Amino acid sequence: MTTDETQPARATGRGGAQPASPPPPPSFDDTIWPVVDRALAGVTATPERGSLDLIVHVPRDEVVAALRALKRHADLGFDYLRSLTAVDNEDEGIDVVYHLYSTAKRLNLTVKATLPNNDLRIETATGVWRAANWLERETAEMFGVTFAGHPDPRTLLLPEDMTDTFPLRKDHPLAEIEVLQGEGMGYTAEGQ
Amino acid sequence: MAMPRLPDQEFETQDIMINMGPQHPSTHGVFRMVLTVDGEVVRDVVPYVGYMHRGAEKLCETMDYRQGIGYMDRTEYLANFNAELSYVMAVEQLMDIQVPERAQWIRMILCELNRISSHFMFTGAFGTDVGVFGTAFTYSFIQREIVQDLFEEITGDRLMYAYFRPGGLAWEVTDNFVERVREVLTQVKQGLKDVDGLMTANEIFIARTRGVGTISTEDAIDYGMSGPALRASGVDLDIRKTEPYLYYDQVDFDVPVGEHGDVYDRFLLRVEEIRQSIRIVEQCLERLRPGPILPERMPRMLRTPPGEVYIRTEAPRGEYGIYLVSKGGNRPYRLKIRSAGLSNLQALKEMTVGQYVADAVVILGSIDIVLCEVDR
Repeated sequence: MTTDETQPARATGRGGAQPASPPPPPSFDDTIWPVVDRALAGVTATPERGSLDLIVHVPRDEVVAALRALKRHADLGFDYLRSLTAVDNEDEGIDVVYHLYSTAKRLNLTVKATLPNNDLRIETATGVWRAANWLERETAEMFGVTFAGHPDPRTLLLPEDMTDTFPLRKDHPLAEIEVLQGEGMGYTAEGQ
Repeated sequence: MAMPRLPDQEFETQDIMINMGPQHPSTHGVFRMVLTVDGEVVRDVVPYVGYMHRGAEKLCETMDYRQGIGYMDRTEYLANFNAELSYVMAVEQLMDIQVPERAQWIRMILCELNRISSHFMFTGAFGTDVGVFGTAFTYSFIQREIVQDLFEEITGDRLMYAYFRPGGLAWEVTDNFVERVREVLTQVKQGLKDVDGLMTANEIFIARTRGVGTISTEDAIDYGMSGPALRASGVDLDIRKTEPYLYYDQVDFDVPVGEHGDVYDRFLLRVEEIRQSIRIVEQCLERLRPGPILPERMPRMLRTPPGEVYIRTEAPRGEYGIYLVSKGGNRPYRLKIRSAGLSNLQALKEMTVGQYVADAVVILGSIDIVLCEVDR
């Protein structure tokens, strides 16, 4: 669905701002960040403390190199892709989120890359884990993200011809609910 | 007498494409796959999913945290309690709610009973796939109904329970809960013996399943498989053990692991998991004490602080994950459901290519997919 021609530019957006990275305090030492930092030598990664797992923000051009390094590193070995999805942060662009797991070391890590609204393009991770294949197809059709180099860029859950609208974006209205629930549910009759 | 000579050159064969589904009794829902066959051998499989896509994730973004519980039931309709659990645990993690002990034990009992009923659904449907039409199905479904009756007594609904709440449970269980669970366990144990005796050592059953649909350890991990389908390939990975939630670290149970990664191992593992779940429920009943089922101070409207969490639990089909992003307020900003079935189904091609076309249905059945969970 997301071939080069159908890449739409989103109307909203002031371009992709980098996520506000906290100043790296020494408090990350109790997490796996020191090891991750060593594994990601050459990649500009910034850590963030998540509710359960460590989150690492990576620039989108370096994300596949970072994922490959995390998979290959002997002390980490993130060989299992739990989940791959995206979050539409409206004006701040779209985050592509990878949830990694290491079956040998029993470690969890979340990797995030932010895409600016005017260029929703990222390299495919199918070369790192084959698990990424369908997950990227779903993310592509739902958010309009182009995974460059994807071996099978068809729709997964949506109809084949539904390539011009992206249901999980925040600007996509939920038409039926508007009528049924009206005001107070966030969507008004005018179609917010 | 001279044997007739075969022609020197090989027979010319032509690949045929067969469309299977979406309306087909062996696809466990609405699922389509296009098989390319060379005689009896499958050369390629192209699966098509999405017929049951209802946009559950988008709908959850428009509902408050209590309304969203019902949608979890509708994605994973064979293991509703396990699905609800992931969702309420995600909300609890973000809001930092401490769940009372009694509620946790009851949740554990119900989740394990749900695993039992889900695995009985598997043995029944799988028997039909293999060709034991009727017998395995009826024997398994009696057991499933017995568990289902108990759930109906507690929650008031046969399938869509919506019984778990962030913080605990919707209401107290029935007065005779403990006796009823023990009764159900006694019956289930007998039923398990029946199913086990009918299928496990059956020569025809083994001939149809042993060595069929094999997937290696490395491939299973690479495809992100989980649950019994992953453990059959020799990966000792059960979230109840590796990252214990509820009180799974306080009960004694074993995680069966397969050796061959074939269809027969996937079946054996599920039968053994029923046994282990019975063990867990028995221990939970011993530990169950009277007490509150909700924390004392629960807000009338659930509001989460900004943040995000990825909760994973071991559902009967594998890892059921909830990725919840909150930006404050009473609704999720983004809710992603990590479906075990979707990741397991990706490996279908790896398992089916090179096998006989008659085994394609057996292999699909052994993954134990729920299409509503795959498509969400």
